[in-house]
Amino acid sequence: MASMSSGDESLRLCVFDLRRGQTEGQELDKILFFHPPELDVSTQLSVTGLSEGLITFTRLFSPEAACEVIEAERHSHVFFEAETDIWMVMVVEKNKDTGAIWRIDALRGMLKEVHSLFVMFHGSVRALLEKEPTGGLTRAQLYPFITDYLSTFQKRSRSEDWCCDLFVGKKLQLPNFRETTLSERGTVQMLTLARDTALEVQSLVQVLDSCAGNLQCLSMILFQDLLVSTTLSPDDTVNLFTFAVMRLTSQALLSSDASSWSHLRKGTGSSETSSRSTSGSIDSLHHVIRPLQNDKWKKGKDGFLVTDIWGLETGGSPDPAIPIVWLQETQERVYLLAYQYKSLTLLLLLPETDIVNGGLSAVKQQVIEQASLRIMKIEEKISRGWGGENAYHVKGYRYLVVDTDLEVSRASPSGKVATLAKESLLALNKLREEVDLEKSRAKRQERDLEICIRAKNNAWVIARVSRDKELYMALEKASDTLLDATDAVGRFSNRYCSGAFLMD
Amino acid sequence: SSDTALVNLLVLSFSNAGMKEKNSATTASTLGRILATCSKQAKDYGSCVASIVHEIEKDLCLKQFLALKSCMQHTVKIMSPRPSSSQTSVGSGALSHAYIQHPSLRCNVPESRGLFYDDANRLLICVTSSQVFSWETATFNPDVSPSVDSIPEGPILSVRFSLDKKVIAVQRSDCEIQFFHRETKQTLTHKCRAGSESLLGFFWSDSPLCDLAVVKTSGMDLFACDSAMNLRLVETKKVNVNWYIYTHESRLVLLASGLQCKTITGFQLSTAGVVRLPKFEMTLASTESNSKPIISAGDVHLVTVYGRIYCVQVDMEAMLLHTYRFYRDAVVQQGSLPIYSSKLSVSVVDNLLLVHQIDAKVVIIYDLFVDSRAPVSAPLPLLWRGYQGSDTSPQAASKENESPESSTSSENIVMYEDAWTFLVPDLILDQTNKVLWRVHLDLEASWLAISASSSDRTSLLEFLQRRKLEANKAKQLCLGIARALILERRPATQVTQAIDVLVTAYSYSVKAGIYKELKNGKTTATIPTNDGASPDNERGRASGSSLDEEEEEVEMNLPSGPADEQQESQLSSPAISPDELYKFVFASVEEMMVEESDYLVAIITEFLRSISAEKLKVDLNIYVMTIRLLARSKRFAELSLFTANKIIEPSKEVALQLLESGGQDPRVRKLGLDMLRQLSLHHEYISSLVQDGYYLEALRYAQKRKVTSVRSSLFLEAAFASNDMQHLAAILRVLSELIPGFKETSEYYTFHGLLNETSSSVAV
Repeated sequence: MASMSSGDESLRLCVFDLRRGQTEGQELDKILFFHPPELDVSTQLSVTGLSEGLITFTRLFSPEAACEVIEAERHSHVFFEAETDIWMVMVVEKNKDTGAIWRIDALRGMLKEVHSLFVMFHGSVRALLEKEPTGGLTRAQLYPFITDYLSTFQKRSRSEDWCCDLFVGKKLQLPNFRETTLSERGTVQMLTLARDTALEVQSLVQVLDSCAGNLQCLSMILFQDLLVSTTLSPDDTVNLFTFAVMRLTSQALLSSDASSWSHLRKGTGSSETSSRSTSGSIDSLHHVIRPLQNDKWKKGKDGFLVTDIWGLETGGSPDPAIPIVWLQETQERVYLLAYQYKSLTLLLLLPETDIVNGGLSAVKQQVIEQASLRIMKIEEKISRGWGGENAYHVKGYRYLVVDTDLEVSRASPSGKVATLAKESLLALNKLREEVDLEKSRAKRQERDLEICIRAKNNAWVIARVSRDKELYMALEKASDTLLDATDAVGRFSNRYCSGAFLMD
Repeated sequence: SSDTALVNLLVLSFSNAGMKEKNSATTASTLGRILATCSKQAKDYGSCVASIVHEIEKDLCLKQFLALKSCMQHTVKIMSPRPSSSQTSVGSGALSHAYIQHPSLRCNVPESRGLFYDDANRLLICVTSSQVFSWETATFNPDVSPSVDSIPEGPILSVRFSLDKKVIAVQRSDCEIQFFHRETKQTLTHKCRAGSESLLGFFWSDSPLCDLAVVKTSGMDLFACDSAMNLRLVETKKVNVNWYIYTHESRLVLLASGLQCKTITGFQLSTAGVVRLPKFEMTLASTESNSKPIISAGDVHLVTVYGRIYCVQVDMEAMLLHTYRFYRDAVVQQGSLPIYSSKLSVSVVDNLLLVHQIDAKVVIIYDLFVDSRAPVSAPLPLLWRGYQGSDTSPQAASKENESPESSTSSENIVMYEDAWTFLVPDLILDQTNKVLWRVHLDLEASWLAISASSSDRTSLLEFLQRRKLEANKAKQLCLGIARALILERRPATQVTQAIDVLVTAYSYSVKAGIYKELKNGKTTATIPTNDGASPDNERGRASGSSLDEEEEEVEMNLPSGPADEQQESQLSSPAISPDELYKFVFASVEEMMVEESDYLVAIITEFLRSISAEKLKVDLNIYVMTIRLLARSKRFAELSLFTANKIIEPSKEVALQLLESGGQDPRVRKLGLDMLRQLSLHHEYISSLVQDGYYLEALRYAQKRKVTSVRSSLFLEAAFASNDMQHLAAILRVLSELIPGFKETSEYYTFHGLLNETSSSVAV
């Protein structure tokens, strides 16, 4: 594996289509995305070639689910078949020094996530390829998209000018394992509401719905980066929630504001700059939209969030165009309107086909007239009852609870998780890997699992799986006996998970 | 305005005609005939409106309108004569919101010298030269016989019984009042200084300061009176008085002075003491000539509605009826109502002000509760109803069947004849026929009129919720309106407002203690409002009303306020409890709204919000229904949100419904399971787990919670069915530990045997 040892590249990521480039000499046509882009073509081809070979080989034994992961000595290859015959492969270096090993499921979760988001904004890759068979458009869209996505994980402090790194070949980083150990990609985090507040919110949801007149208007409400309410299907909720937390919530806007000065000074970052990019994979002929580009959303005077990512309205209007996203559930294209009041972010989704000229501004007007007062009141009410960023901290526990069915998770606040010793985190990470393995093995109906491990630093790391609920926990200050540790978990389960995890 | 009035009238006429003929074609021809017959009047009205259309104001064309109206009514009457057998009506036509109803209270005593009404005791009094006959009017029972007292002969200007009814006071002249003790037959004569002052009248009081107030031209004397009928002057209020009015209902006496009798001094002699109102001037339009009109006692009426005291005053020059509202420390003019008649009187029925335009022979209804001074409905005549009117109130219907005989034939009744006296609050005394009528309101007719004139159902519901007399009818109408709003798929915001009105009204009436559940499904509305309020009781109860003083409300409280409320508690109030709303509105429309469950869920959510805001509870079946609706439209994400946020309150029934709806979505079923566990419904939880095939988890749970109520065979059969002998063995072992004596049961032997047969390798 000569290509893997070539140097400091810690991450390689490629997307390729098995249906393309079948003939000798056309192999490059397969590749839809490759990171790092500056890598020479032969190396790119060797990575995809190897992956394709492995896929073809493993399919012989398991036609339904070909290979998921290859563990090499210094690298892990994570496979994800995003769409039929469209594969995403990620190669990560194992860091021997830190002992930090990427949890494969977490990496695959990222691949899944970036693909889902891509589909949400651009439609499926296959559809794009069919629309434009040369693949130029697909490549032009994929490249900035994935790069923008990965740039989210950059440490902001270290990269003042990170918004431009897309085209200067900077090293991209994966999220730190400290951040991923006690979190679950592909789930939403809910805000717990008091009943009366929940009723007010539900009432607001109905008002929002009525703002669109006879059209169906789906909506989603976030408080800071927690979900308050949604009328979308669970999968669409997860996608839109992920996007909102990345780019739209008050906090996302706040952090982009902080860096907006440097952004303005450099005068870069707009989508037009792609034309003078150094990368060969960008096709300047295509109108490239970078939905995940940072720093592009601003709160307008009317409370609605605006961006010029999608260019301007057609017909010479000076107003920026309203983004359109695909809904997975209905396979429908909908306009995405975002309204923000303080910590409350509201997303409205209106079917594209039903909106006639000026229809959106009428809806906006309705929202301002009918709902803004309620929004204000609800924001105030939630804020008053909100316990701050450590609201869901449970003293003595560092935990993650996942409900895989409802795609919901809750975890200790990241600030608290950061206080865990590295040993605990590594042990927990290892434990999660074990559980992942066990879960994929046990396809049996009753998936009941309980693992307690004593880490090097004498902390207890515990995993508990009960049907479709999972609980991971690190107890650093628990006493010596296993009994005490399980008791602590039992107490937690009864108090905070309504007794979902029955402890023996 | 007159225009809406016309619309109302048309609506009413056709609803009438339509009922008779049940045919829309003939209804249409009815319109044609009416318009043909009344073409002149219609034209007049139309041209009047047209001539001033740029400056049109309410009731400008009333004269023309009334002409058109009476013509139309006449036509309708000819076209659809009422069958005389079921209901006889007098008055111009059958259209009315207000009616008087048979039977009347007859007070025909031979050699009668006069009829009096004692409003404090609600007694109708008829006097002969030496006798006093008195009828209780509170119950309004025509069969009741009068009590008779003998008094010495002499002229009688007025008669009032003391509040304990032990003493009869008779004003003999303008300077003499005589008191007769009904038991001891003791007599006392009170005289005022002849010449210098003359006596205007007197009334009994229940204020702690005095028992009797005597109004004279020089002022008002307040006397305390002991059981031996010794009068002791307590206080004198020095005012020049031309005339006075007093109602016991308001405990308010107004003394008029000045050349035009415009200056009014008021006192309230309540149980809280004697309160002097700020002196105020009544409004009188000045005419061009120098003649100064004078206000007479008949021009001023005290009106008590919704626990507030108003005064209405006729201003003939301006053709306006001015209203004033009394507060503890102020008298505030409230605006004016138009007058269409040179003679005018008022009644109060069910907190509504009825203004009788006597010359026009119509009555106009106002609801002073709302700020708008627009009438509730168009001017319509007062109606007389015979025995079995279709809309008769229950109390009348039940009694009339037993006493069909009556000598008051309809021929004798002339509406608004000169001899009519309007008594406080809702009685009419016909001096000619010597009968007493009570004025009733036809709630349905007024409802119809309001709903025809405005599409605002919210204010209509508010109006109905304020009704007290026909509470049950008002309630039914409200339920009907709420149902209709939903079935008509009105915008959610409209329905929400309507529901808010009902919930708020209910919450208020519960807090005020007015609301009372119907018992045994019987309507308690058969008892008239003013029933059983003997002055003794009233006095006793009213004494508690001094507490009112401590309330922050600056409004002048009615001294008898709490007593009134107590009386009303015997009625069912029109308030609708959340449970009833669920049962008669939501549950009843569910089947018809199958296609629109989203809409219904939206309405229910608003309903729940409204209830929650008022801190009320509702039948948990509404949650079960919500789950059903959400599951029907496959809104599982929201269903889990609703459950997580406890918008759907957890309960066993709710959990079971979740399990049932979970047939379509396992996530929903899981919500149900979680809820069972949270509610510690161990038995149901374990059974459901086993049913879903999670028998090991179920057993673990049973072991942990020491639940033995679940049949052990459930686990065993499930494990056996799954063909996992290791599980079966494990279950047998756990059950042996869990249930004492399990090893001795036949079940144990059966499965143990099965286990040994199938696999001898597994040790138990």
